[in-house]
Amino acid sequence: MNFIAFLSFAVLVVIILTLIFGMGAYFLYKVREKQRRKGSDIITYEELREESGRKFLFFDEVKYGNK
Amino acid sequence: MVRSVLFLIAGAIISGFIVYYFFDVKTLFNSFEGFFLKFSIILVAFFTFIVIFRYISFIFFSILKTYQKTITFSHNDMFYNPKVTIIVPAYNEEVTIATSIKSLVKQTYNNLEIIIMDDGSKDNTYKISKKFEGNFNGKTIRVLTKKNGGKSRALNFAIERSSGELVMCVDADSKLEVDAVELMVRYFKDSEISAVAGSVFVSNRVNMLTKLQALEYIEGLNMVRNAQAFLKLVNIIPGPIGMFRKSAIKEIGGYAHDTFAEDCDLTLKLIEKNHKIDFEPDAVAHTEAPDELLDLLKQRYRWTRGILQAIQKHSHNLWNFKNFNFSFVLWYMLFEAIFWPFIDLFASILLIYLSFSQSVNSMLIYWWLLFTIVDISGALYCILITNETKSLAFYAFFYRLYFISVINISKIFATIEEWFNIEMSWGKLERKGI
Repeated sequence: MNFIAFLSFAVLVVIILTLIFGMGAYFLYKVREKQRRKGSDIITYEELREESGRKFLFFDEVKYGNK
Repeated sequence: MVRSVLFLIAGAIISGFIVYYFFDVKTLFNSFEGFFLKFSIILVAFFTFIVIFRYISFIFFSILKTYQKTITFSHNDMFYNPKVTIIVPAYNEEVTIATSIKSLVKQTYNNLEIIIMDDGSKDNTYKISKKFEGNFNGKTIRVLTKKNGGKSRALNFAIERSSGELVMCVDADSKLEVDAVELMVRYFKDSEISAVAGSVFVSNRVNMLTKLQALEYIEGLNMVRNAQAFLKLVNIIPGPIGMFRKSAIKEIGGYAHDTFAEDCDLTLKLIEKNHKIDFEPDAVAHTEAPDELLDLLKQRYRWTRGILQAIQKHSHNLWNFKNFNFSFVLWYMLFEAIFWPFIDLFASILLIYLSFSQSVNSMLIYWWLLFTIVDISGALYCILITNETKSLAFYAFFYRLYFISVINISKIFATIEEWFNIEMSWGKLERKGI
């Protein structure tokens, strides 16, 4: 058996597999980033309160005491 | 002696393969009909020659730099003692910030101010940092905070408030060796030096991916920087460890906010103004590398787009050969970021096509072996000069087989997306504090 031909074939297989793997990994990364961005769109009550600068979002603060 | 012999053997093997490779290309070239195939083979051969030439030049200049370094510094340099401000920009770094501060306090250089620059973190970064505020072993620690605005703004904010003549920027997730500052400061005795880069080593060698990155860092980054430093033209001062003359940063207007690679942009601005940039290989920062493939791709995607943005900003200088050094650096960076990844992919596809259309050709194994031997020789040289773990050389085999191709695919997509101006976010890699 021709050793060089065998090695060439092995390298060919590895090159093809690596290219497929590289492409697949890149698209997986893009999908993950997309999902993460969707996840980060969710804003918490605390963050919204901080953004608006108000103490409460759904209530008004009532102060009791002397008129 | 052993190093020289190894180097000569490696050189001889490489030369042998280069000759054989080009002989084979010539035979192959003559056996093909059609302009496209002939042109493709010439193109791949040409770029292969450039890559080999690049490798050999880097090793050669790196040896010269190492030799130059041994005769540069004198005993008098120990009395040069300017004030240094270390700036640590931190955004959501509660896991790593305490370790980082502790490593900075241990520095052997005493005329030191440390500024922890909290960039509006949502976690406990500011709170944890505040506990360290004060004086430790003659070193002052200050903690500043501001509304979140990105790393470049945070760095500029801290630079304006620093009291040191020299400014050292350090990532919060990196740990410095105790003599890093002392080793870097002595370069600034030469008034022409405006910045010095340090070495970056991977601290979390927990799997094959991080070990491959460890090899990449010592080979690709440290060897390349060492060679560039011989010409005083280091093209990227790494985020984990870089020292600057404050006056030089002020002259070029500080860090810019319009790229994702502020380190690269700042270095390019310094080179544009003919500032000299050196490299101290023994000033070491240990940093955590991504240990998962998708995180690594994210990092490289951002690096590539950031570098392309920085090149784009200075593209008017590509053909300005009056400022030859700057033009040369820009072309070199374009080669690394765009040309080589595309040609590498193109060569792989061409070889696959040739193998299927003409039966598997021996050129394939020689082409692959050529690069693998170059990688192994480069790795051996770097491992010997950095006293790294010798077993890392073993990973050079997988480096060409798998690592480079996967990274190049990510670079190619990043280039295409940058070309079409597709929106990207900076994001942040999760650190584990290893």
